[in-house]
Amino acid sequence: MINKCIIIMQSQSTYKVPNGKLLKIFLKYNENENLIDDLKITGDFFAYPEEAIELIEHKLKNAFLKKEILIEKIYSIIEKNHIEFIGLDAESLTKGILMCLK
Amino acid sequence: MKEQWRLLITENNSAYTNMAMDRAELVSVSEGKAPPTVRFFTWKPAAISIGYFQSLNEEVDLAACKNLGVDYVRRITGGGAVYHDKELTYSIVIPESHGQIPKNIMQSYGRICRAIIKGLNQLDIQSKYVPINDIIANGKKISGNAQTRKLKTVLQHGTILLDVDVEEMFSLLIVPNEKIRDKMISDVKQRVTSVKHILGKDIGFKNIADAMKIGFEEEFNIELNEGTFTEEEIELTNKFEREFFSTKEWNHKR
Repeated sequence: MINKCIIIMQSQSTYKVPNGKLLKIFLKYNENENLIDDLKITGDFFAYPEEAIELIEHKLKNAFLKKEILIEKIYSIIEKNHIEFIGLDAESLTKGILMCLK
Repeated sequence: MKEQWRLLITENNSAYTNMAMDRAELVSVSEGKAPPTVRFFTWKPAAISIGYFQSLNEEVDLAACKNLGVDYVRRITGGGAVYHDKELTYSIVIPESHGQIPKNIMQSYGRICRAIIKGLNQLDIQSKYVPINDIIANGKKISGNAQTRKLKTVLQHGTILLDVDVEEMFSLLIVPNEKIRDKMISDVKQRVTSVKHILGKDIGFKNIADAMKIGFEEEFNIELNEGTFTEEEIELTNKFEREFFSTKEWNHKR
């Protein structure tokens, strides 16, 4: 029997959103499966309603760390929950998350 | 007769009380128990407020705050860390449905900032709104602003810098390293100004509050009448201070 060893990596990134604010991501991810384990989206941006950020963090748990998949997921959460970002957007959020992998 | 709004002037409150007052007003105005309300206030002790989405430990040097007797608090609005020392802070609370408030969030920032610009104009300071949330005079930032919308009500608060000590501010914030600290200090000195710097003299809170009162009255074509909190608002302020703004759960939540 082979025990599968799950390695959770921890990383962070800082990304200045073009024409926007400073995004700081704290990411824990499963390196074997390339999945988000835990995510904190912080920074000096604005989001309406504010509580939406916790929802996005929650919904992105176990998401596959791939650009197209993340963007689509984030867009879909934004649309479903009528979230409005100022100084941040779905592309930049995706970029900030993926920057943690480098 | 012009529409009558309420003006509250509350000097020298703690960071927790100030943030609790804004939230109490928000509840009260949302339930129609108070008219649109503008408040001018100051902070005692000096305090750092951070934006709702910021990480407290990543932004604020908590040990330095403790040493210098500076409070810190998480706001219910987004935006960045602000050191509240020598400034007038304002807040406006008004129903989203009010005809004077654009539905579009960015437009409403601009509209409310115009009241501040008109107030500064009373002091012969020319300024303009620069999106997303700044007001600049002589090409430098003199005011930062942040808005939230909850309970179908708009709350926007912001600062008008009366004087600024950039070194002190950076001694309270987390910076990547000492070399960058110096660079950040000189950058911010280039980018930030104050009423004192522009006018070349100190101007008291009362004078700036009078000027801002006129700014709001002109921009919104209303009359501001100095009033007081309702009993319910006082209770709500105590509750929000106790249950949110003074708690570790709230301030350290991110």
